[in-house]
Amino acid sequence: MRKGVFLSTRRFLILVPLVLSLLLLQSYFWVPTYDEQARGNPGRLEEYINASIGDASILNPILSADSASSEIESQVFDGLIDRDENLHFRGRVAQSWEVTEEAFFFVNDAARVPGALGSEPESVLRHLEQKRNDPAALSAPVQKSLQNIRALTLLPPRNYTVTRPRPGSDAKAAAEIRLEVAAPARIKLVLREVDQDLFTHLAEILGADYFTTFQAARHITAAPAVSETDLAALTEALLPAIEQNPVIEFRLRPGVRFHDGRAVGAADVRFTYEAIMDPRNLSPRVADYEPVKEIHILDPLTLRIVYKRLYSPAIGTWAMGILPRHLLNAEALKQEAVRSGKDPAAFSMRQSAFNRAPVGCGPFVFKEWKSDQAIFLDRFEDYWEGPVNYKTYAYRIIPDLLTQEMEFYAGTIDSYGVQPYQVERLAGDPRFQSFSGTSYSYAYIGYNLRRKPFDDPRVRRALAMAIDVNKIIRFVLYNQGERTTGPFLRQTDFYNDAVAPVPFDPQGALRLLAEAGWQPDAEGRLAKNGQRLQFTLISNSGNDIRKSILAITQDAWKQIGIDVRTDLLEWSVFIQERVNKLDFDALVLGWSMGIDPDLYQIWHSSQTGPHQLNFGGYRNPEADDLIIKIRQEYNHDRLVDYCHQLHALIARDQPYTFLYVPKWTAVLDKRIVIRDADAEGRSRYRRITPTKTGNHMFYFNQWIKLAEMPQFSN
Amino acid sequence: MIAFIGRSIVQKIITLFFVSIVSFAIIHLAPGEPSQVDPLNPKFTPEMVERFRTAFHLDQPLYVQYAYFYRDLFRGSTVSWKDNQPVLKKIWERFLNSLPLFIVGTLITWTISFPVGIRSAIFRGGIYDRSATFISYVLISIPGFFFAYILIILVVTQLEVPVIGMQTFGIGDTAWPFRIMDRLWHMLLPSILGATGGIAVLSRYVRSQMLEVEGQDYVRTARAKGLPWEMVHYKHALRNALLPFVTMFGLILPGLIGGSVIIESIFSWPGMGRMAYEAILSRDYPLILTINFIAAVLVLIGTFVSDVLYVLVDPRIRL
Repeated sequence: MRKGVFLSTRRFLILVPLVLSLLLLQSYFWVPTYDEQARGNPGRLEEYINASIGDASILNPILSADSASSEIESQVFDGLIDRDENLHFRGRVAQSWEVTEEAFFFVNDAARVPGALGSEPESVLRHLEQKRNDPAALSAPVQKSLQNIRALTLLPPRNYTVTRPRPGSDAKAAAEIRLEVAAPARIKLVLREVDQDLFTHLAEILGADYFTTFQAARHITAAPAVSETDLAALTEALLPAIEQNPVIEFRLRPGVRFHDGRAVGAADVRFTYEAIMDPRNLSPRVADYEPVKEIHILDPLTLRIVYKRLYSPAIGTWAMGILPRHLLNAEALKQEAVRSGKDPAAFSMRQSAFNRAPVGCGPFVFKEWKSDQAIFLDRFEDYWEGPVNYKTYAYRIIPDLLTQEMEFYAGTIDSYGVQPYQVERLAGDPRFQSFSGTSYSYAYIGYNLRRKPFDDPRVRRALAMAIDVNKIIRFVLYNQGERTTGPFLRQTDFYNDAVAPVPFDPQGALRLLAEAGWQPDAEGRLAKNGQRLQFTLISNSGNDIRKSILAITQDAWKQIGIDVRTDLLEWSVFIQERVNKLDFDALVLGWSMGIDPDLYQIWHSSQTGPHQLNFGGYRNPEADDLIIKIRQEYNHDRLVDYCHQLHALIARDQPYTFLYVPKWTAVLDKRIVIRDADAEGRSRYRRITPTKTGNHMFYFNQWIKLAEMPQFSN
Repeated sequence: MIAFIGRSIVQKIITLFFVSIVSFAIIHLAPGEPSQVDPLNPKFTPEMVERFRTAFHLDQPLYVQYAYFYRDLFRGSTVSWKDNQPVLKKIWERFLNSLPLFIVGTLITWTISFPVGIRSAIFRGGIYDRSATFISYVLISIPGFFFAYILIILVVTQLEVPVIGMQTFGIGDTAWPFRIMDRLWHMLLPSILGATGGIAVLSRYVRSQMLEVEGQDYVRTARAKGLPWEMVHYKHALRNALLPFVTMFGLILPGLIGGSVIIESIFSWPGMGRMAYEAILSRDYPLILTINFIAAVLVLIGTFVSDVLYVLVDPRIRL
């Protein structure tokens, strides 16, 4: 009896792990292999599974700022416009749009208009009308500006009173001043298209100082009185001598519906704008919409957006997903707060459950979000462009790149972003089709132009000449990169192909450095006035590619006698302590960017302070001028022209050594094809082909997976 | 005994208070700021960053922030900065995901280590003991992520079944036994990986404890009395060798919330460890601090439980 008990202690100790292991291991026989999954589950063919390394954070297009969220949002929400195959704008929820301009100037009774009868408003207007009808004596650009004017009207003088917070006082003091404004007559010009040179051209007719000598302060009296400089600032805002207001008029597509069946109308668009501007929502997109002056709803499907000033990137901002007003307006949010037992006063759109179960008017309907696992979307049967082919869209979160690859092989994800070192072996695999293109980013070495020796463009050029970028591309990127010479996207027209990359020429570099005063000493080390050429090149840790670039450039520069030290810093230290505080000599970093060519924040000389993005301190008045012109130009051809000039200018100045644009490669199962209908409505299959700019996902809405590998004739 | 418990609880609350201060200070001293406040995104203007700072109370002195945070925590109204979800709800969801992994891993560790360790001790110096020692050291030294990759590649390419995630993705509406077994299968690799290190260490520990006890006089006496072999080892020796392990049980508790960052990331397991790691990367202070606080509470409860267990199982200790 007793013996049995002891035996069972031993047996117990051995049996328990055995049984446990067997129980766990036998589960293998219940799990479907990939072939079984596809055979037993035909629905899998109508399902597209995408993988991402990070989870979305907030599924509301006006609140999110991460790429995972915006990827889901792009499927759930549609904007007014987006980009077509050639990266030009095309209508989505908007059927058509027109960009015009309204411009104003105050009649300057102090200025004498050459050739006019007098300086009173009627004479000035008549004089302009006359020039418009008989422009023969004027130069061609001025003629063009005049032809562009659709109508000229005179706005009568106006008297009104406003109150403004007293300048210089803080908000708490709440001191106000009353301003009596006696606005003089104003002339309004309606233009066919935006013309940023309008007033420079008008100045040729009205006199060079017509607009600059307008004395707004004369028309304003302040009570209590304020200093002259303060008054000047106030009047500048109240009575600007000239004003240019671009106007976009969108005509929405009829019959577009949100996923809950409500029609999308102009009110939803205006609501989206108001939600972005509402300070309680802390939208990260405020800067894009700040230039909007007002939005008028002309009819339920027409919308007129007036801007405060010329700002051409504004058009692109209307790719923003449209929010459903009926689900998120103040009333709806209040009800939601009451329902969930929260304080309605402190409840903003950020707290709404909408952000985890969004409703839009895009091709897919949100279904489910399992945090850090997957997000599921279903096809929207009522999509305005017709339902897409895939029935479900799943967005899986797989934080590890190797396991992503394994899941791709196991067939449980459909698309896979290939790492540079894998491109060669996967491209040759007969099961897969692969696509590649250049990404919307570039890598560079940035110099701190405030410090010596980087203030000398010859030194910067010499540093660039000493580096063999092709070698970096070949050995660090496994050829998955392309050289770039300037700050614009390679696949857009804005990129200037005529700019040649800096050649790899160490001897030439030495000659340039000698020109700049840096001579090699007895040991071949460069020095000037007894001072050695030495500096530190830094980057952030955790990025192997940047680490390799650091080592390669260090070596390349040592070869020509420069004493370079390198340092890797943790990302936040790197950004906060070095980049934001402008405390660095040179750094390796990259920019990712949008299609719009606005470079104001990265290259304009006003953006060189601490915590600003022109941390290299690039200042060039010529470049500043072009950057502003680009921001204000609405005509594509002229825009391209300005961008080419700016590109050439920056390439000449070499504030950065532009290294490369990384290439991406995506592999897909070959059974995924495009299915669309021919003229008679029969299904037609064709191979997925990338667009001219390399985007293979452009026709994603027509993609479908076939059960068998398709055979195409060519 | 009751006096001991009372004293111990007071001490632990004081410790907890200091832990809360220190962890708060450390997290705020660490460089970097929440990604909403420190973006390298050209679209973020300084005014917006300032608004975020105000909304998150980051513009206040540290002690005020501390008060805000613990006030919210005790009211249960802390929300994550990343997605505005209530922190406690997030933690609870993740805890439920990590729990099965933790239970299976612990079961594997504890059930396998004992027979392995005991046998090594009984046949000390033999082939079995030496190979067990060797394997233990291999398992201790092999980096977890590397071992994980090897296993995943082997399973995926040889057995052709999926292993990532909590279940086969898109398994759809198959019968429930299949779904249960599928979940079990997906738990297998991560829990084995989580257990390997534990098995290696714990079986070594069991072995040395057994050896120590086997050398005691009472074991020699038992053997001299002519007791059966089984009885000598499994009653007289093992029972006494078990004492330290009872107390170790209390110390497992904090493991409940820790999860495993590496294993969970590799297997895309939506668990605690991964959430904590990602929270640290995005400087989601409310989430990090709450996890930290709960972990501290669990550690203190764990030590308390092991103190009490000691008293209960070891008649030599009196309080």
